[in-house]
Amino acid sequence: MRKMAMSLITLLLVFFLAACSGGPPAATSDGGPATSTPAAESPKKDPVELVMYSWRTEDKDAYTKIIAAFEKQNPHIKVKFKPFKSTEYNTILTNTLTAGSGVDILQLRPYTIATSIADGGYLLPLDEIKGVSEIAKDYLDAARGSDGKVYGVPLSINSAIIFYNKQLFADHGVQPPETWDEFIEVCKTLKDKGITPIAQSGKAAYLLSIAHSIFVPSSLGGNDAVEQMLKGDLTFTDPAFLDSIKQMQELAPYFPQDFIAIEDKDAQALFYTGKAAMYINGSYRLETFEKYNPDMKLDFIPSLAKEKGGDTPMVNWVDGSIAKATKHPEEAKVFIEFLASQEFGQMFSDELNRLSAIPNVTPKDPLVQKMTQLSEKSMVPFLMLVHFGEGTPTTKTTFEDSLQGMYINKLTVEQVAEATKASADKWFKPAK
Amino acid sequence: MSVWGKSTEAKRQRRVIQGIRKVNWQKQLVHLFLLPALVFYVCFQVYPIFSAFWNSFFSFKGMQRDSFIGLENFVRLFTESPFKEMFYRGFGHNVIFFIVTVISKLVVAFLLALLINSKIRGKEFFKTVLFLPKLLSVIVVGFLFSLILNPTYGALNTFLKFVGLQEWTRPWLGSPDTALYTIILVNSWYGLGFAVLIFLAGLQAIPSEIFDAAKVDGASGWTMLWRITLPMAMPAVMVMTILTFIGAFETFELIFAMQGSQGGPYYSTDVLATYFYRLAFGSVDGGESIGLGSALAVVLFLMISSATAILLFFFKKKEYEQ
Repeated sequence: MRKMAMSLITLLLVFFLAACSGGPPAATSDGGPATSTPAAESPKKDPVELVMYSWRTEDKDAYTKIIAAFEKQNPHIKVKFKPFKSTEYNTILTNTLTAGSGVDILQLRPYTIATSIADGGYLLPLDEIKGVSEIAKDYLDAARGSDGKVYGVPLSINSAIIFYNKQLFADHGVQPPETWDEFIEVCKTLKDKGITPIAQSGKAAYLLSIAHSIFVPSSLGGNDAVEQMLKGDLTFTDPAFLDSIKQMQELAPYFPQDFIAIEDKDAQALFYTGKAAMYINGSYRLETFEKYNPDMKLDFIPSLAKEKGGDTPMVNWVDGSIAKATKHPEEAKVFIEFLASQEFGQMFSDELNRLSAIPNVTPKDPLVQKMTQLSEKSMVPFLMLVHFGEGTPTTKTTFEDSLQGMYINKLTVEQVAEATKASADKWFKPAK
Repeated sequence: MSVWGKSTEAKRQRRVIQGIRKVNWQKQLVHLFLLPALVFYVCFQVYPIFSAFWNSFFSFKGMQRDSFIGLENFVRLFTESPFKEMFYRGFGHNVIFFIVTVISKLVVAFLLALLINSKIRGKEFFKTVLFLPKLLSVIVVGFLFSLILNPTYGALNTFLKFVGLQEWTRPWLGSPDTALYTIILVNSWYGLGFAVLIFLAGLQAIPSEIFDAAKVDGASGWTMLWRITLPMAMPAVMVMTILTFIGAFETFELIFAMQGSQGGPYYSTDVLATYFYRLAFGSVDGGESIGLGSALAVVLFLMISSATAILLFFFKKKEYEQ
């Protein structure tokens, strides 16, 4: 009897093990391991449902409107927008993609992550799609695989900018600075009058490299310097780059007290409640400030010039793109075409107050309009994100963490530079 | 005995035997009820451990397993910068975590358990109060304490200013000198109630006759504590020490909730588990290395299991010696 029971248990165990050792794919896929075969090609003209993943839960309303417009034009295609929490998105997405099910259209993070997902063979190339070829080549770089093909329609252009409170500036008699020296002067004046000059959080280190990117043009130079770095003629330990780190160090007294311990939302609050005069981050914060303090007199400084009257480029990067995974390729293609159209670009910009990557889109918001104009005039890439996002940990992360280390007096300016260079040396091959 | 009698006796015996068999069968049947738990355990505990072992021998391209590279991941982990520095720093923090937790949680919990076990009023009330934090999720605790410890508007610094201890205020989570210890103390506060309950159970299991006898023999309170209470409560102390050890080396949630996956500021609260998370899943910027992450998970697993075995052996031996 005992033996029988044991063997029964063993047998069942083996069975269950066999069932679960297939692992996540079998467990999560809806109807077998999904290969490229579309689930039951509909004989009638049943509407096909496309599932779209995104990491921006806050965009849900906007996408509902955008999708409604699309469905009106294409009644046989339904699109289901499924946003996830941003910090969990990468894990969810990679799991879904490796499982091979559930997602047809997806929002793709830019640069390195996009490349690695494209290289994994989860996405279809979009070079042939109408509209894609009209998008600026630099923007498409955010969604290229190692094979050089384009795997996503770039969504929005983000800029790193210095937001400032016009009212506070006027009240304390300061003008928006154009050069580094003027900037420091403004900070001093504000601090003397009891205003926190810059609401900066240092808890999440990535905010530090965004701030750094804005001061790069004034210390390092614009696109020339970027090209030199890519060629390897300029490295992280060269004096020009050291200067940019020194600038960051010089700013410490103008950040809030104990800023390494405060979070970005605390910094935002300092800014929109008028306790701090400036705030540095991506242009996407515009929406936040307009929501929390619609009466605020808001403006921005693009970046600082090397000398008075010099070039103040916008520091730009592409934030995400939309890619298609392999299910329902035909219908997905129609949707992607829609996303590459000017109509979508305009809706995206209007609904979300952001810069679209699609050409010839005129934004509604005056500040976004100003950003577009300045970007058209002159722009540089966000060096760390666009060109130094590789490595384990990435060179960008190494740089950010080292900056944080500098602010808590664990590292010197030189050590920050050395750590960054050491990380880049492991993988970065200069394009000689 | 009648002829009938014998046959009824035989029948009775047969019935008894059948009964025993039935009981045995039922006893075996009980094992079947373990099956669901076992299946879950195997699928979600045993299988991942083995898959981590397996993955640690491979290089990865993003999420894709690439090629078999033998022990290279382990070699990189221990010899290559910045991996080795992160490993040793994280390990050091785990050790600090264990030592400070033993002092701040176990010693305090034992004293509280002694206090509650003595004849004081409102025992049940204290027990409940002490156990309350455990009802919250770690993430909630992390969030609450982030608010309390916030340097600009946090309750702790506000309180310190209010009572005139201005010079004591500091960015508790933002300074490398205090961040790790602050988190350990929060963790101890969170786990205190559980430790008190375990110790209390241990103390209450000591038969009161022993104390009575000791009293008759004229033993002092101290002697009773050292000679009777502590040795008799040893099993509970042993269990809690081992649990604390495992907890200290696995600690992740609270640090993740309060300082993020980087164990900030500048890795001052980074432990092996947060380091593992970064290696395996990376940050939003990518740079994942499942192979390296798996190798670290394996090292962590071997470290915890062997150290636990050694601790168990040591404590068992001690128990026999008494």
